[in-house]
Amino acid sequence: MTEPALKLEQVEKTFDQVHAVDKISLDVGQGEFFSLLGPSGSGKTTLLRIIAGLETPGNGTVHIGGRDVTRLPPYARGIGMVFQDFLLFPHKIVAENITFPLKMQKLPASRQKEQLDWVLALVRMAGFENRYPHQLSGGQKQRVALARGLVARPDILLLDEPLANLDLELRKEMEVEMRRFQAELDIPFIYVTHNQEEALTLSSRMAVMHNGKFEQVGAKLDLYNNPNTRFVASFLGSPNHIWGKVKTAADNIAILDWKGVDVQIPTLSDAKPGDEIDYYLKHEKILIQPPRATDPVRGENRIEGTLRDVIFKGQHSDYFVVFNNGEELVGSAAVEAESLKIRHAVEVSWLPQAGDAFLAEENQK
Amino acid sequence: MTSFRKWRQNNNFRFALLTFPGALFLLIFLVLPLISILVYSFWRTESYELIADWNIENYITILGEKTYLTFIWRSLVMAVSVSLVCLIYAYPVAYLIAKRGGRYRLILVLLTAAPFFTGIILRVTAIQQILGPIGLLNMALQTFGFEPIQILMYSNVASAIGLVYLWIPFMVLAIYLSLLNFNFQLLEVAYVNGAKPWRAFVEVTWPLNWIGTAIGIVLVFVPTFAAFVTPRFLGGVNGALYGNILEHQFGATGTWALGSAMGVVLFVICLIFIVIVWRTINLQRSGYTGEEF
Repeated sequence: MTEPALKLEQVEKTFDQVHAVDKISLDVGQGEFFSLLGPSGSGKTTLLRIIAGLETPGNGTVHIGGRDVTRLPPYARGIGMVFQDFLLFPHKIVAENITFPLKMQKLPASRQKEQLDWVLALVRMAGFENRYPHQLSGGQKQRVALARGLVARPDILLLDEPLANLDLELRKEMEVEMRRFQAELDIPFIYVTHNQEEALTLSSRMAVMHNGKFEQVGAKLDLYNNPNTRFVASFLGSPNHIWGKVKTAADNIAILDWKGVDVQIPTLSDAKPGDEIDYYLKHEKILIQPPRATDPVRGENRIEGTLRDVIFKGQHSDYFVVFNNGEELVGSAAVEAESLKIRHAVEVSWLPQAGDAFLAEENQK
Repeated sequence: MTSFRKWRQNNNFRFALLTFPGALFLLIFLVLPLISILVYSFWRTESYELIADWNIENYITILGEKTYLTFIWRSLVMAVSVSLVCLIYAYPVAYLIAKRGGRYRLILVLLTAAPFFTGIILRVTAIQQILGPIGLLNMALQTFGFEPIQILMYSNVASAIGLVYLWIPFMVLAIYLSLLNFNFQLLEVAYVNGAKPWRAFVEVTWPLNWIGTAIGIVLVFVPTFAAFVTPRFLGGVNGALYGNILEHQFGATGTWALGSAMGVVLFVICLIFIVIVWRTINLQRSGYTGEEF
């Protein structure tokens, strides 16, 4: 078996008695695009800085390419890094910015030129060599920052929210580019972001981080479709939240009392009647249609409500349906459902297994 | 009428109006005295009287006699070495305050200027009390049976110590102010890209803060080159510098014309120095990102 490109073992970092990073272990393979996804303050940036050597872990070890680098300074780690604010050297022209890592490695000038030409072609910035950073647009700066991270063909490229400061159009464009670079170079990318769409678009595997811990690590589809923890379920896909006490639990189906509306959910092994449950249902798992005459069968949720609003998003629309209990669900569907009229009665239906149920945390409402 | 109103709104007019008081002040208290000194420098003095007899004898004396050149050379060496010592001393101080000072950094910077709470004579006298023959340092050494340190008593070294002490707040302040706008994250970028700390300093910190450092160097160089109080108090008989000789012309000997010429030479040398420093500043290479001048 080959060595993983990056191996973290029981990495810990504490700031003022707060566990910013709490016993994290992780293997990232050669050529993987791995995302660290989490809300701000989840410790993802601290973890990235530990990998870069900009922070020293309180405990645990970091291996890059099979080499223990835990006690090595950043300049001895053979990594590339792309920062959120681009952080180009303002007093150096594009060519000097990009060849900086090569200059530090004391590569001969001819080799530097070769590498520069190669990476400029890769990021499509040929012809900009002699510009100063302030003469570039945001997207161009980002390309130069990426080129600087890649030019020395590092063992691993770390990216700290590199697209956060770009507008949507550019972000989409750079997402595509980023995947291309990664595929062409076969260098593992460790990508930190709080933007789940970015993480889902870009990565092959990802970890959701919360309070310094990994909530779940795995293939992105797996995380999206089969969340293991309440946090991952509530975070990925920004789903609908349905909550209430268990009324009855039988066979595979339990009945939840959601403010007077009965909702069927998959049975939890450790949930007794009376327990508080959080149930998360993604927008695209809901079917919205005009009310049907037939009665619902067991194992199918069908709730009647009123269509409050429809927000057109282009490829799909968001349908806001409000129920008698005052609560609301959002469903997404392609825009063909034009028969649905605002303020008219609609029926919302889904299968219990389409959502994810978890025991509520004790202090929850 | 309308044309007058237009003229009033004209930016040039506003600029002139705003700069007028300052310009007037400089004209009266800087330009006029400088012109008068320039004029006197081409006159001559006879028994304490200025005589408007145009000649260049004063300059021939200054630039032709070895004595005067020696004093220029001494002051030049003094100014360069004091600037260098101040630079080496002040950079880490300013750096630490800017980077680690946190909410105390303003207070810390003001504290470096604490000596300015008293006059220059008092401060120089205080140093005399420490370094002089019957000063704290040498008295203590003698008490414990050691030889007094000769070099600290009325010498150019003593003057240099005094001058470094006097002008260091300027250097700290100038470097500190430029570091305030410095993005220390750029150093992390340099480290990650393979630069050792000293290399990161040379490649990033130094060039990006060179304008502030250059201003600090000028602020120390010029007053040191013109210094006469400090060398008189701390330099002793053999420690006289150009400034002392210059002052002498206006006092004891009363040779105002020669003194004026010496003043002009001082001014020109300082000007040349400032131009040399200024020529090293390339705005693009200092990370200046606004419009080009």
